[in-house]
Amino acid sequence: MPSANSEQVTIVSIYPALLGTYGDAGNVLALRHRAALHGLEARIIEVAAGEPIPAQGDLYVLGGGEDSAQTAAARGISADGNLASAAAGGAAVLAICAGYQLLGEYFPDATGQPATGLGMIDIRTDRLPRRAVGELAAESLIPGLPRLTGYENHGGATHLGAEVQPLARVLAGVGNGDGTEGAVAGHILGTYLHGPGLARNPALADLLLGWCIGRELEPIEEPDVEALREERLRTVLGEAWNRPA
Amino acid sequence: MPPTPFRTRAAVLAGRTASAASRLTGRGEGLVVGGKVILKVSPGAMRDLAGDRVAALVSATNGKTSTTRLLATAVGQTGPVVTQETGANMTDGVLSALAYGHPRGQAVLEVDEAYLPLILPDTRPRALLLGNLTRDQLDRMNEVAMVARKWRTMLESCPERTTVVANCDDPIVTWAARSAPRVLWVSAGQNWTADASVCLECGGLLRFGGVEGWRCTSCGQQRPEPAWRFQIDDGRFTAVGPDRRRFDLSDLALPGWFNAANATLALAAATDVLGLDARTSVQRMATVTAVSGRYEVRTIGALDVRLLLAKNPASWSELLTVMPPAPAPVIITINANDADGRDPSWLWDVPFEKLRGRTVIATGDRRRDLAVRLLHAGVDHVVIEDPYAPGVELPASARDLEVIDCAATYTAFHGLRTRADARTDPQTRRRKVRRAATRVVS
Repeated sequence: MPSANSEQVTIVSIYPALLGTYGDAGNVLALRHRAALHGLEARIIEVAAGEPIPAQGDLYVLGGGEDSAQTAAARGISADGNLASAAAGGAAVLAICAGYQLLGEYFPDATGQPATGLGMIDIRTDRLPRRAVGELAAESLIPGLPRLTGYENHGGATHLGAEVQPLARVLAGVGNGDGTEGAVAGHILGTYLHGPGLARNPALADLLLGWCIGRELEPIEEPDVEALREERLRTVLGEAWNRPA
Repeated sequence: MPPTPFRTRAAVLAGRTASAASRLTGRGEGLVVGGKVILKVSPGAMRDLAGDRVAALVSATNGKTSTTRLLATAVGQTGPVVTQETGANMTDGVLSALAYGHPRGQAVLEVDEAYLPLILPDTRPRALLLGNLTRDQLDRMNEVAMVARKWRTMLESCPERTTVVANCDDPIVTWAARSAPRVLWVSAGQNWTADASVCLECGGLLRFGGVEGWRCTSCGQQRPEPAWRFQIDDGRFTAVGPDRRRFDLSDLALPGWFNAANATLALAAATDVLGLDARTSVQRMATVTAVSGRYEVRTIGALDVRLLLAKNPASWSELLTVMPPAPAPVIITINANDADGRDPSWLWDVPFEKLRGRTVIATGDRRRDLAVRLLHAGVDHVVIEDPYAPGVELPASARDLEVIDCAATYTAFHGLRTRADARTDPQTRRRKVRRAATRVVS
């Protein structure tokens, strides 16, 4: 039970069965885990496809998925309408891979044709010449956020418009396809980082939770997670894994 | 059966030589190289060697090796059977099995999902068993829907003598199999539904549950009426045939409900397609203890371990259910080589929370990914690079166990088998396997 003075964060996981093919359900576990470490009360709401999306979430999470699932998800979220209005009202959004793409103006469907996205952020996605599969390491462009590590698996080239900032600069891997990775617009954050992204980058989870409660969270390091981060960054960056690029 | 053409006989001889050379130089069984040589010399060898003797092909994401072994053992009641001993299930492996096995034996062969469309037309099996399609090695672009589309196209020109025996509890398999002219539907269970959210017919959403099993909320496609059903009644595994005849599958030596479900699929094919005696088939299947090393107890270093193999989130989820209850510690070995899938993100799709209350020894190349997953699952764990090394410090509870379960990904599993003490006395091993099996059931 929440204690009287604990801060509560409501996390809405959107269509985890449709958008959760690459272990992205782990992002919600990571958010709950980090919230607990910081003494926050996380309330998780899973919304199955076809069910209404609650309007009062603090943080909405969308994962990756196969092409047909991505198109079905975009249709469902668009028809529901609550995600866009919650984000316009200041709620935070974390969107991974297919979820990231579908927040934009358009993304490629299973046949490669552009499908209409939610138009919530100023990005457009078409196809990369070659699918990007492998470790992704990137230097965060958000001040104070440590180096990012994850695994990417997508065929999308994402082009950022003037109203969004890239999340990071790619050190190894493909990301958006132009040397940048992910996008940030207000409290909406999109990225290609699987792994899951928040389990491998707990500072990213803390950033999102901080947005929800309106204050920055103190860094907390866990040995298991730090060991994994070092190992993964070393595989692609070698000895320079923790040196400024 | 017509005599095998000279060209193919010469090809088999050349293949045998190549395989033998490969074995002599220590490069393994040589089945793959043997198969390649055979095809080079005689491109029509698969059709020649298969003739009319292929009783069944078995394909699925999970359970194909076990189902193949169960069915091959049942078919053995009529005479010699040709099947893979090593799990080599692509073109070369299938070809080698046909080339080197008993020349007149009936063939029961396991086939990789992606290779099935290439192998089906030349082998023309009497039965084609299709178990399940779930996410597997996504780094290789094996999206489930893509495999299903290939199967569906393949079955539109299904060989005339082939009856498809398909698990209708899997909507993806059902969609693929519906294009075949003759299908025997088997309700063989499918707990893992995460890859079947969307109807492949219309893109609508699928709903699971109720007596109908599953149905599309948009186009109304639903589970076909099964001829055979796998059931769990009061904890006992039962196969129910079309004439309501019941077969108790609780005495299978292989553990877990999923192996009993595999046996139901095999039993349906054995009786209704191949015309074998059902009781004899069940009795024979019950004697299968280990399949290509799975469930075998081996000595590695100072530990006696029961080796368990799982390859993707669906099979890991099922495997956790055959492990002994907490607080018994277990070893989990995670690699991410090509054959395991390069991306271990799937660890987050496995309900490792079920292992709470015990210590997990996390090992393998990707033990740190596993450690982070277990941390988030609230499962106590220790990270040990090599738990079998002399003098290594293990949790006391692990040392006290007579047999400890070790679940591993594909390359980790084969690494452990290679490493296992070859001097394990077969008598002791059998006794331990029995004990491990009893422990699971009780």
